[in-house]
Amino acid sequence: MIHKTRTGNDDSEELKQLLQQNLPPLQDHDLELRRDLWPRLKQRLDQEDVHDLAPRQSLRIPWFDWALAALAAAALILFPGVIPALLYHF
Amino acid sequence: MKQHPYLRAYMAGIVVPTIVLLFGLTSFTVARYVYNVPLPIERLIVFPMSVVPNLWGVWNILFVASRSRTHLSLGVHGMLLPLILVPLGLLLLRALDFPIPYAAAILPVGVPLALIVYYLVWKYVVASLNQILGLA
Repeated sequence: MIHKTRTGNDDSEELKQLLQQNLPPLQDHDLELRRDLWPRLKQRLDQEDVHDLAPRQSLRIPWFDWALAALAAAALILFPGVIPALLYHF
Repeated sequence: MKQHPYLRAYMAGIVVPTIVLLFGLTSFTVARYVYNVPLPIERLIVFPMSVVPNLWGVWNILFVASRSRTHLSLGVHGMLLPLILVPLGLLLLRALDFPIPYAAAILPVGVPLALIVYYLVWKYVVASLNQILGLA
């Protein structure tokens, strides 16, 4: 008596036949993407590059803000009693 | 990074007061326990520890939510916060029955100073944090 052993190859052949029987064959237009995805991907990559890798703009502080900072520093020096009150509200 | 803008705004908003609290609390604690300055810190600390950072976070959320309508700059928006915080802080001090030394002398200088400091901090520090978190 000869025992026929099933190999992995037999299984895959059987599976292939079953799939071919039950799935409709692909048409040519199904094999291609309906639209080109690369332009969208490139656009997203460019946006992320601009967002993440753009050199930071050098910080320009207008003269008005320098004046305000000087005024605040002078007030802190002249009226040190306000420092605890300021810390309390920070 | 486009999701949860309000959560990011809250996180960016609480950074500055949380860091300042560290230094403020250290100063007050050293003054109280090292130099024996009679400051009831345990009664005072609830405001800068809980109310202020949360209000900063909420204020930044308000900025993100309303900037398309109000068109206010972040500096001006932040400058308005002491107008809420100062009365709130004074109200709490009064509720805690804490005497405010030299209040009449401090307020005329302290309020404009707070407006200036808040304007500069929000314009430069919070704006920078917002930019880092993709909110600018």
